[in-house]
Amino acid sequence: MIRILLSVLLIASLYLLTAATENTTRFGSLYLWLLLLNGVVLVILCGLIIHNLWRLLRSLRANQAGSRLTARLMGLFVVMAVLPGLVVYGFSMQFLQRGVDSWFDVRVENALDGALELSQASLDQRMQDMLRRLQDAAEVLVDSEDEMIPLTLGDLRARTAASELTLLGGNGRIIAASSVDTEDILPHRPEESILLQLRQGRPYVALDPIENAGLHIRALVVVPTPASPQSARVLQGLFPVSPRVDALATEVEAAFTEYRALSYLRGPLKDSFTLTLSLVLLLSLLFAVWSAFYLARRLVAPVSRLAKGTEAMAAGEYGTQLPPGGNDELGFLVRSFNDMSRRVAEVRNAAERSQELVEAQRTYLETVLGRLSSGVLALAPDGSLRTFNEAASGILSVPLDQGVGSPLTSLAAQYPDIEPFAALVSRQLQSGASEWREEVTLDTAEGRRTLICSGAALPSGPAGDGDVIVFDDVTTLIQAQRDAAWGEVARRLAHEIRNPLTPIQLSAERLQHKIGAALDGSQADLLKRSTDTIIHQVEAMKEMVQAFSDYARPPALHLQSVDLNALIREGVELYRGQSGQPKFTLELADDLTSLEADPGRLRQLLNNLLQNALEATQGQPDCQIELRTRNGEGRYADMLELHVQDNGPGLDEAVIEQLFEPYVTTKPRGSGLGLAIVKKIIEEHNGTISARNTDTGARITVRLPLRMKT
Amino acid sequence: MAFTTLACAKINRWAVLQRFMLGCVVWALAGTALSSGDFRVDNIVPRFEAELLSMDAQLTYRLSEKADQALTNGLPLEIQQTLQVQRKRKWWFNAAVVTQQRHYRIQFHALSRRYVLTRLETGASRSFRDRQALLSALGRIEGWPVMRESAVQALGPIQLRLTTKLVRDALPRVLRMAAWLDADWQLRGGPLVKEVQP
Repeated sequence: MIRILLSVLLIASLYLLTAATENTTRFGSLYLWLLLLNGVVLVILCGLIIHNLWRLLRSLRANQAGSRLTARLMGLFVVMAVLPGLVVYGFSMQFLQRGVDSWFDVRVENALDGALELSQASLDQRMQDMLRRLQDAAEVLVDSEDEMIPLTLGDLRARTAASELTLLGGNGRIIAASSVDTEDILPHRPEESILLQLRQGRPYVALDPIENAGLHIRALVVVPTPASPQSARVLQGLFPVSPRVDALATEVEAAFTEYRALSYLRGPLKDSFTLTLSLVLLLSLLFAVWSAFYLARRLVAPVSRLAKGTEAMAAGEYGTQLPPGGNDELGFLVRSFNDMSRRVAEVRNAAERSQELVEAQRTYLETVLGRLSSGVLALAPDGSLRTFNEAASGILSVPLDQGVGSPLTSLAAQYPDIEPFAALVSRQLQSGASEWREEVTLDTAEGRRTLICSGAALPSGPAGDGDVIVFDDVTTLIQAQRDAAWGEVARRLAHEIRNPLTPIQLSAERLQHKIGAALDGSQADLLKRSTDTIIHQVEAMKEMVQAFSDYARPPALHLQSVDLNALIREGVELYRGQSGQPKFTLELADDLTSLEADPGRLRQLLNNLLQNALEATQGQPDCQIELRTRNGEGRYADMLELHVQDNGPGLDEAVIEQLFEPYVTTKPRGSGLGLAIVKKIIEEHNGTISARNTDTGARITVRLPLRMKT
Repeated sequence: MAFTTLACAKINRWAVLQRFMLGCVVWALAGTALSSGDFRVDNIVPRFEAELLSMDAQLTYRLSEKADQALTNGLPLEIQQTLQVQRKRKWWFNAAVVTQQRHYRIQFHALSRRYVLTRLETGASRSFRDRQALLSALGRIEGWPVMRESAVQALGPIQLRLTTKLVRDALPRVLRMAAWLDADWQLRGGPLVKEVQP
């Protein structure tokens, strides 16, 4: 908009300036203002060009896209505009100088001078005639009475054909006058130089151009005064020139004056034309230069945008859209670029959506695997661990993240507990079986664990083939099945055996009572020993049946807050001073959290464990039992840990898997229910128990939850 | 001869602004060049006569070399005399009450070899044998009627402000540009201010 306005203003201003230079009456008076206006436009254009140059230089220094092309086009446009303009200007100036000079000719000038001189010569003769007439009239006035002078002047004016006769005093004061023009009452007083000339005795005659009245001849002569020679008077006469002569003389004078004025104005006229032409050229050139900036930028703009768009595409900004160009080839190029960019962006978006979908599926799979209670391992074709879930680390009790990228056998070297598992997997992989299932037992810090493992080869795909191993810890399940079986056995034993025991016992007592008195000494003793044996064995069987009954009966827990350390100290006190003098070492955590449990059942648990340890260390010269408590850590953070370590011969590896089952004992006098009851109490409290051999003996680890889950 | 022009008392601000801007431009371009000519207002003598305030004044006109050369080559020159009656105001510029102007044209008549002085408002003209006589006559003002004595009484103390200048706008157009830029054409005299008590 500003460009259009400035363009219109410039064109209008140049037109008016040209019109004013041609001396039209309409714009001539505005010439100076137009010059000022064009000067202002000139300054504005210079400012705009400097601003554009500065912008171009800045973009060149910044190496902006399209700046070099703009500069090149700009230079081309400027050369194309300036060179022809300068050539036209040079020729115009030459024509101007010669054209103005050609208006003036020496011959014309001489002719005008001659015409003027001729006119003057012609009028000189007439002036002398008029002077003589006036002198004659002055002679008449010499003898005139003062009172008669006005009348005499009137007569003389008519006689001499003067338009005005005036009689002046010696000091130039008007004495009397007579004129044909009654409106102009007061005649002009002669100049002092003329009066001085008259005083010197020389008459004065000259032409006198009078505005709106034409040429006149003004003559002045002295009127002698015989009576007073010192106060001579002056007679002034004004004689009109004949109209024909006046017209001719005026024409000659006008032509001469006009030619002379034109000749004088020749220099300023050239300067004026030169100034106008230079200003027009300068403004046109500056406007062309300024327009060249605009055109170059407009032409280069689509190319610059294309370059920027290409850079953006290269930088990964797919989908970059350029503003639409025109209908020319550049516009076609822009449209093609936009189509290409849009398609690339669509492809990129489709790829991103696919990737997001894969990521979502991967996340979903990881979530599912993470929630699975079964352990899952993904192995690469070379047997190295690729991924795993949380349950796998928990079941194997090893930080599997340390083994990612390496075979399980390498991890087994650091953690020997999983050696059987690693060996099983390695063996199955080597066998090349596509699917397999096998059970394996691990001896971990938490005790022996039985895992059901199954494996399958993964199908080939982008992620590569390999194998997936799924395994479950079935230790608890097996144990539960055993516990259930043993509970059923115990319940049946209690039920089937308890019923006949009382009749047997009563029968034996009656037999001893009824028959013992009738028998003599040796037979009576025999009977008594036999019946006593029966009674004692029945009592023993009753106790055993009661024990089985207690084992099979579901508990009724009385939960309350329990300080496990206090229970341990209390239980240990009961065994101090017993045979064998066991040495108790207590490492009880000071900050042990109290737990929610049945204190009576926990006392029984501690009693059985200590009793078991004492029995295991019987016969040892230095019987030592170590009890240690601590707050659980890691995945056992919500549990308490109790370790009972003895320095006995350790557990028999053959029975260690069935150690907590009823009737499993390695002691000659053990009932086989001590550790089974311990395990039952632990399970009643939702805890875990495990046993393993150490370098110094056997160690039983109990974990009890801080709070019972309802 | 009604040559008295009554001007509006209100100052034409736009005209003042134009003159100021043009003056700045001319001053900037002309630099410190000094004119060889000289116009002066030497004296103002106000007098009350027949219930009329009149003014006599003496001015000096000396043409610059370029102006003289232009006159000799037949170019007419226009000279303006401006008389302004101002009423004094406190804390503000004086208010122009009356502005009167006289325009004269001086020209060399080649045929008669005389210099012609013409009063443009009336067309009355006089010719002089030499230029100096013309300029002397031009500089001698006698009995310039200003305003009625009763009007002066009503206004209170007034000031007569007389200026004169060569009218450059009356020059031929091709010479006008140079006249604006050349100090030899910056011919002006006054102002001379004379206070008049009623």
